[in-house]
Amino acid sequence: MADSPETYRDEAIIVDRGYRHYDGTRTGRRGAVRAIVREGFRRVMGLRRKAKRKLLPWTLIVVALSSVVILVAITWATTQTPASDELADLVPRYRGYFDFISVVALLFAAYAGAQLLIPDRADGVLNVYFSRPLAVRHYLIGKALAYATVILSFWLVPQVLLHLGLAALSREGFLSYLGRTTDILWQVPLAALAYFVLHASLSFLTASFINRVGAAAAAFLIGSLGLNLVALFFQEAADDTPGSRWVALLATEQHPRYVSDWIFGVHESAEWIPAQAGFGPGISLAVIVGLAVVSAALVGWRYRRLT
Amino acid sequence: MRSREGELVTEDRTTPEAGAPIIKTGGLYKHYGNIRALEDVDLDVRPGVTGLIGANGAGKTTLIRLVLGLIRPTYGQISVFGTPVAEDPAGLRERIGYMPENKCLPLDQTAADFVAYAAELGGIPPVEARRRASETLFLVGLHEERFRYLGDFSTGMQQRVKLAQSIVHDPELVLLDEPASGLDPAGRDQMLELIARFREFGMNVLFSSHILDDIERTCDWVVMLDAGRLIHSAPLDPPGEGDRLSVEVFGNPHPLVDALARQGVSATLDGAVVTVVTRSEDAFAVMRDALESSGSSVRRLGTSLSRLEDVLVAAARKANG
Repeated sequence: MADSPETYRDEAIIVDRGYRHYDGTRTGRRGAVRAIVREGFRRVMGLRRKAKRKLLPWTLIVVALSSVVILVAITWATTQTPASDELADLVPRYRGYFDFISVVALLFAAYAGAQLLIPDRADGVLNVYFSRPLAVRHYLIGKALAYATVILSFWLVPQVLLHLGLAALSREGFLSYLGRTTDILWQVPLAALAYFVLHASLSFLTASFINRVGAAAAAFLIGSLGLNLVALFFQEAADDTPGSRWVALLATEQHPRYVSDWIFGVHESAEWIPAQAGFGPGISLAVIVGLAVVSAALVGWRYRRLT
Repeated sequence: MRSREGELVTEDRTTPEAGAPIIKTGGLYKHYGNIRALEDVDLDVRPGVTGLIGANGAGKTTLIRLVLGLIRPTYGQISVFGTPVAEDPAGLRERIGYMPENKCLPLDQTAADFVAYAAELGGIPPVEARRRASETLFLVGLHEERFRYLGDFSTGMQQRVKLAQSIVHDPELVLLDEPASGLDPAGRDQMLELIARFREFGMNVLFSSHILDDIERTCDWVVMLDAGRLIHSAPLDPPGEGDRLSVEVFGNPHPLVDALARQGVSATLDGAVVTVVTRSEDAFAVMRDALESSGSSVRRLGTSLSRLEDVLVAAARKANG
């Protein structure tokens, strides 16, 4: 016969669960860095946060993905017309996609960099982080990896969808298209890497020295686009000023585009300001790397002072 | 020795072999430019709960930051668990928990997420970190609220979360910087009760405060800093020894003094205030009987909790010549 409910009631006790010691393995600094990457990703995407924190990043992601749908739809529409090949060439794809959503990507990069660094300082959480087995460099490496995860995903996921969409619409067949376009598999990630390095350098730099997310994101955007205008002015209106050619290198936003063209083997890149000033894409690559080094040094210096 | 994983136990890690000091400093100096934050501090912090007391600017937070290895001493040595901090600061921090005085909570995260994250930063794997976060929040009385955002918490609840993050990774030493600051009396009582329980969890505690009452209620050893110098380091008397009871009476206090003398208890007289210091555990009973036999009327009565204050004032006077 089953026990009566009274029996269970008599046996029930409330226990103080006390404190449980942990004797398992410790993940050390690597585990801590992994935690920073995971938490950084969630922070930028607004995951496990209130709905209003999800609004901006997911709006930008929806715009980026919608643009892929539009491009594939346009490509499909062109296949229904007699002059399909000529029209299809006008639709941005791969390299063109980087330019097509450059403003959206710039906004996302500005927001992500500011979100990753500023709230930790504003909320005083660095006191907790650095009481754990972490040094400044581990913290910043974790943040940079989190930035890489979100930014590269932002660039590469739509590109993968675009690639699959174009393959599905291809007259030569899905697999044949994929086999013919294997260069894309290294060109797109490499170009995305160039964008990531530049954006990470500038957005981390602004986010390290400005204490409000909105202000830092705005500074990044104004800096990126404003320097373009300055460089353009010196290139076109004041090109007789001594040294004006070098001002073209201030057009930071243009360098990854120029390098991207180089990676995709596009030789007609005269539209970019550094190209107009007579610099090769290698110089643009050097500027990106140089900015990354200077930015890493300044951000590291800033955080060592903070702690 | 620690328990097996998963076993619910309390364990005494506060009495390690040979009773070696948890923190040991020798000739410790820390200068910030012309500001001398610490000067020639020779200190042994024993296992157990140690109170670190001193006015603002006395060097308490500087000492804590030196223990964590976040700053380097200008001169001198500091070791934790017998290991020089400069040798392996990150390794030592895995064994230390820290509750900062100032705000340190991300207000857009839930308590469970933040405490689990703090556990992961302390080296606990993710799945175990979430489990321990839940258990630790239960321990500090926030189990029901663990999925609420920290920005929606009261000051008292936020202090509990700060405490939870400091112990979630199972440290052997917990550094608490003014843990009761900003709390109302009820919240302070609860916080001090929690801290007192750390002893039974087998944790050593260095508890910084400028409130003597908090230290006296919680700690078994007290360290006092004044303007960066160590002026006192000694155990607190066990509770019940030397309790002091003061009574202010209406009218002539001498009959009460005489009545106390008849019971074998000496009293001091200051105006109408009669004070007894007795090692009896029932000072109130002694005073009650004396009041009854002397027929004195009570204007005010209360225990005096200023024993520590007396000790520290004397230490400060001595240090300042």
